[in-house]
Amino acid sequence: MAFVQCSGLKKTYTVGDEEVKALDNVSLTVEKGDFIAICGPSGSGKSTLANVIGGLDQPDEGSVMVDGIDLAKAKDKALSEYRNSHIGFVFQSFNLQAHESALENVISPLTIGGVGKKKERRERGMKALERVGLSDRASHKPTQLSGGQRQRVAIARALVNDPQLIIADEPTGNLDSSRGADVINELKRLNAEGITLIIITHDASVAAQAKRIIEIRDGKISEKAGAQ
Amino acid sequence: MKFSDQFRTGWRNLSRQKLRTSLTIFAIVIGAVSVTVMLSLVTSAKSFLVSSAEKTGMDKRVIVTGTPGLDYRESQWNWPDGSGKKIDAEVLAAVQKVGNIESATLYVTSNMFDSYVVDGREMTMKNVGVEGYTPNGTIKHILVAGAELSDAVKGSGILISSDLASDLGFKGKEAELIGKDMTLRYRKDMGPPEAKKSDEKAKIVGVTMSEGGSMMSVDLEWSVAMQTMTWQENSGPNGQQSTRTESQVDRNGYSSIWITVSNKENVDAVLADVQKLGYGAAAGKEEIDTQATAFTIIGAVLGGIGGIALLVAAIGVINTMVMATLERTREIGIMRAIGATKKTVRRLFRVEAGVLGFMGGLFGVLVSFGFAIGLNQVLNKQLEDSGIADRDIVSISPQIALVVLIITTLIGMLAGSLPARRAANMDPVEALRYE
Repeated sequence: MAFVQCSGLKKTYTVGDEEVKALDNVSLTVEKGDFIAICGPSGSGKSTLANVIGGLDQPDEGSVMVDGIDLAKAKDKALSEYRNSHIGFVFQSFNLQAHESALENVISPLTIGGVGKKKERRERGMKALERVGLSDRASHKPTQLSGGQRQRVAIARALVNDPQLIIADEPTGNLDSSRGADVINELKRLNAEGITLIIITHDASVAAQAKRIIEIRDGKISEKAGAQ
Repeated sequence: MKFSDQFRTGWRNLSRQKLRTSLTIFAIVIGAVSVTVMLSLVTSAKSFLVSSAEKTGMDKRVIVTGTPGLDYRESQWNWPDGSGKKIDAEVLAAVQKVGNIESATLYVTSNMFDSYVVDGREMTMKNVGVEGYTPNGTIKHILVAGAELSDAVKGSGILISSDLASDLGFKGKEAELIGKDMTLRYRKDMGPPEAKKSDEKAKIVGVTMSEGGSMMSVDLEWSVAMQTMTWQENSGPNGQQSTRTESQVDRNGYSSIWITVSNKENVDAVLADVQKLGYGAAAGKEEIDTQATAFTIIGAVLGGIGGIALLVAAIGVINTMVMATLERTREIGIMRAIGATKKTVRRLFRVEAGVLGFMGGLFGVLVSFGFAIGLNQVLNKQLEDSGIADRDIVSISPQIALVVLIITTLIGMLAGSLPARRAANMDPVEALRYE
């Protein structure tokens, strides 16, 4: 069985009087260690797909299994636990807690998951920061960091629970091209270490680096040849 | 999420909005102080009442009158006008045969006097009763200065209540009155002109704490003598002179008999036994109970007012927490994205609100203790001035403090429930998009 297996996903939003089909009978499989880019214009449904695979949202119809967990039917507790320890999210706008230091942000999934003692959490947090080359910025607040550094802190947060899957939703969207490239390289390095990677992007140059490229338009997907 | 982490996070979030948090806590402090102080004042007043009553023996007292059905207060001020059964030495003897009696005395009040003179200062005796009783320990006063009546001062010793001492200008220095001579002047309208009595000479032996009325106390025999008038009158057709004696006590009897029951538990038995003899009997403990009940009601009303303050504070907590959920929408989204369950988010906000309530309660209780210390200093001065030995009569009971602390915490958590639920039920995807 594939690591991520989506079949017949449907999700409809109502915007004003209009019904928008964000996902229209989407089926997709992702193997362990894969690196796929989901691209498409804004409003095409790519974020919805990412959110469904990431357990933040549930489809109206269809099934989504990740690592044997049936996300379409899971209850809040199971979904939350899945988000907490099975996957890591990286967002366009970093989504760091502004009042917390880099380290505190990184260890927040451990705190929420009630993992270990404070000391153990800090050790794991420092290790994650080391992996993204920011151990010297541990006590900095997000406002004291550059955009690229913030996104690397967000990646460290996504890593801290040793997830098997990282979902990055427009991770370079708020960065200039050189910092964006750093972040993508960072993510690629993690993928090389065996972490499955799903990147949502509308940047063709980012998508081009993926092993597989999934294009989504009006809620329907089509696959293009990727870098592999 | 562990509770310690929830508490830490809640505390941290609160300290991010110091002013708002302080104001919300301040509102709870006001509520907590009102409830604590008001309830404590009432319980303190109640225990002061009970301890004072115990000092005068009121809790073990039964007053017997010739009129069944009078309550304690009415019995205390009973005035024999011939309408009830006559109280005299025979009745006393009968009553003394009833079991469980420690001591008893006939009791009579009179208002024979127009004025009294101390140090050449004449004061009118309007509304001043003169009580007479056998000084055998049945009747006890709370003494501000001097001593109780005793056989040694029979026929001359007099006690005056502290308000009279104040009238004489001896407030706070009542002790200086002890040993002073006092002249009591009879009313002009007592009996026929021939019966005009000469002034009574008394010596002040004690100043008693005023119990709501102006009172002088003398021994029974002297009191009876005061109320007895003797004069010569022409009684025959031939103008023979004869001595006529008229005594109010002989005519109408004594006011009452005051009993000290051997043990508080036996008061009801004594009441029943005396009533069986056909006389009215009322117990001091009924009066204490009545007053204690009144205090309880006052306490409930005042506590209720404090409760309203707490309720308003609770609305403040709701307001603060609703604001917090709005401000932290995105944070909530992030927390949910990295694995916080709805329950975790709900608890986080509830704990935060609980911390508000707890802090408010804690400061409220501390302020109340401070208030009690301050109030006691003022009251102690007053008590000292009035010559009363009691000190620190206002006390905040630890039980009340603990209950207030628990209640404010619960109120905080309860008030936080609604905003907490709101926060927990936010759609994480929407929350993450929130700007």
